[in-house]
Amino acid sequence: MRRGLFWILLIIIGFSLPATVLAAGTPGVTKDEVTIGMTCPMSGPAALWSAMALGNSAWAKHINDQGGIHGRKIKFVVKDDGYNPSRALANLTEMKDDVLAYGCVIGSATANASKDFLLTSKVPVVHVHANPRIWLGTPAAQRRNIFIAYPDYIDESEAVAKFAVTKMGIKTIALFGQNDDWGKSAEIGIQKAIKALGGKGKFAGFVTFEVTDRAVGGHALKLKELGADAVVIYGAPTQAALIIKEMAKIGYKPKIFTANPLGDPLMYKIAGELWEGAYPAVSGNVSLPGVDPQADRVVDILLKYEPALKGREFLGVTGATTMMLIAEGLRKAGKNLTRESFVKAMEGIKNFKCEGMGAPITFSAKQKMGLNAIRICEAKGGKHVPISEFMIFNPLF
Amino acid sequence: MNLVESYRDDLKLIEKPWTGCWIGMTLLVLVLLPWFSSAHWVYLGTLIFIVAVGIMGQNLLIGYTGQISLGQAGFLAIGAFTFGHLAKLGIPVGLALLAAGLMAAFFGVLVGFPSLRLKGPYLAIVTLGFGIAVYQTFTSFEVLSGGRMGLVVPKFPALFGFSREVSMYYFALLLGLTFTLVTYNLVSSYLGRAFVAIRDNDIAAEVLGVNLTNYKLLSFAISSFYTGIHGAMFGMFMGFIEPQMFNFSESLIIFVAVVIGGLASVEGAIFGAAFVILIPQIFSGYREFVPVIFGVTVVLIMIFEPLGLAGRWFKIRLYYRNWPFR
Repeated sequence: MRRGLFWILLIIIGFSLPATVLAAGTPGVTKDEVTIGMTCPMSGPAALWSAMALGNSAWAKHINDQGGIHGRKIKFVVKDDGYNPSRALANLTEMKDDVLAYGCVIGSATANASKDFLLTSKVPVVHVHANPRIWLGTPAAQRRNIFIAYPDYIDESEAVAKFAVTKMGIKTIALFGQNDDWGKSAEIGIQKAIKALGGKGKFAGFVTFEVTDRAVGGHALKLKELGADAVVIYGAPTQAALIIKEMAKIGYKPKIFTANPLGDPLMYKIAGELWEGAYPAVSGNVSLPGVDPQADRVVDILLKYEPALKGREFLGVTGATTMMLIAEGLRKAGKNLTRESFVKAMEGIKNFKCEGMGAPITFSAKQKMGLNAIRICEAKGGKHVPISEFMIFNPLF
Repeated sequence: MNLVESYRDDLKLIEKPWTGCWIGMTLLVLVLLPWFSSAHWVYLGTLIFIVAVGIMGQNLLIGYTGQISLGQAGFLAIGAFTFGHLAKLGIPVGLALLAAGLMAAFFGVLVGFPSLRLKGPYLAIVTLGFGIAVYQTFTSFEVLSGGRMGLVVPKFPALFGFSREVSMYYFALLLGLTFTLVTYNLVSSYLGRAFVAIRDNDIAAEVLGVNLTNYKLLSFAISSFYTGIHGAMFGMFMGFIEPQMFNFSESLIIFVAVVIGGLASVEGAIFGAAFVILIPQIFSGYREFVPVIFGVTVVLIMIFEPLGLAGRWFKIRLYYRNWPFR
């Protein structure tokens, strides 16, 4: 029982230590180490995205094995948030005084809940994998520390629809989308495209589903009734796979186009052979393993350090691009590393390709969305093969 | 712990000077926390006070009245979205909070009706169904939930020269203390004793003059009111809510907190809230093993301390009552 008292006292003493006693100089920077923090759903409903943290971690180890950057090794700290926004924010506040920068925040709910903190904490953030429009309307001065290279859904869906009509000869397009702003963004984008095409294509209609829906047989029937040549899918992999299977069951096989979150060839494992011939969009900041040699080289390195990425290579590569951008920022910042010098260095990144992958990324003092781009691919022989050049849109901010 | 010789003795919140001393010290530490601790602990402290309100409400229902409910996430969501919409309309924080609690209480009464006929697992299933129905309703109707981007809720303002986070911390502390005092008084009152009588034997309680219909519904209403306030405070604290934040796992977390903290114990509710917030946070660096660690901790506590953390706290106090003279 006295041991109990000892632990209670120890906790009280530990709790009382002022944070300032523990911190000195630039947070997360020592003579031979720089700490980067990340909150990530490593468990829970979005645990698949843990591969992105592993990708970051593997790339940091790779850099360290090459001697680090300016004599500093990268210490990568990742904390699980279970895709729970309050836990994600708790992780970010916990790491605030211990890291130079945050590497990636994943998911719209998490990003939305953390937005105010990220805007005011003065900790640089590289990559936020969420709808970039959440940052619109925030003061430009507060966005100074935020660096994003994730495509906008409206621009993406507009480009997908235009591509379908002009390059693939599609006459009518239907949308199968999540009943929320993601799906609605896609509807806006497709309608913009149809309007711009001036009668060349037609928008047949929007069939919505809920995030929790698993029985989509009725949705498939509605889509068949719309009779479109192509169905654009804006939803999670589960519903995408289910709707393709249900449509096939009733003998309706339109061309399938999808949003970039379905750009992972992992879709073959979920949807099976029916995925063959689909046209997924892929985010512009990555290249495709199994197709692009640059991506294959990155995959080899990642698997060397994190064998658990086997089977999730695409997500691993996507995650690693964050660490590649951070590494570039660290190189440019030089030996005298502070948050300020890092932000300035990030703002100086021009036409940077992560290990030669993807479209070029450019940040500046005014441009915090470094890349707004996608590429259309075709699912062929178990791979996603690009069939378009990178489509680069104007950055939102 | 002590021989209670009168009703007045039974109503005493602080029985011994030493108890008053450590409660005073704890309060002092909590009030001074933002002055000597990091923003992270202020954040966690705020979250614990907020969650503790909801757990206290659940403890009134599950621990004191013996009505098992697995639909708390539904009441949380109702409270959070009611507050969110009202706050966006410019309704003052106090009024919006009250409305959020009352709205949740109203739905609590509706859900309470089946409790008049159902018990144990059957009631649990009904409440579970309610939680799922609420979640589905919010996901299906964008006008209620704000859609995929969710609902941006105005945050608590910065007051008295403090930052917004510290102001929110003090507001949550004040609300947590208020609800703690109210709950202590509630469980010592006729109402609380009626709840306990229903839990122990509802037929005997009815024979003794406890109106089962009224008190069971009242228990649901009060408990849901607390949960609604919890939801509203959570929405205000995060500044953003979406239906996914109130899924079934949230109901389970609240249920776990009630049991781990200690059934029918006000302190237990606070311990339970601290447990469900701190354990995942402390072990967050263990990545995918966090749920495993959380689960194993729950199992270990249940094996070694079936009365929950409140039971352990009671034993510690009992042991040190005469310390060091043992």
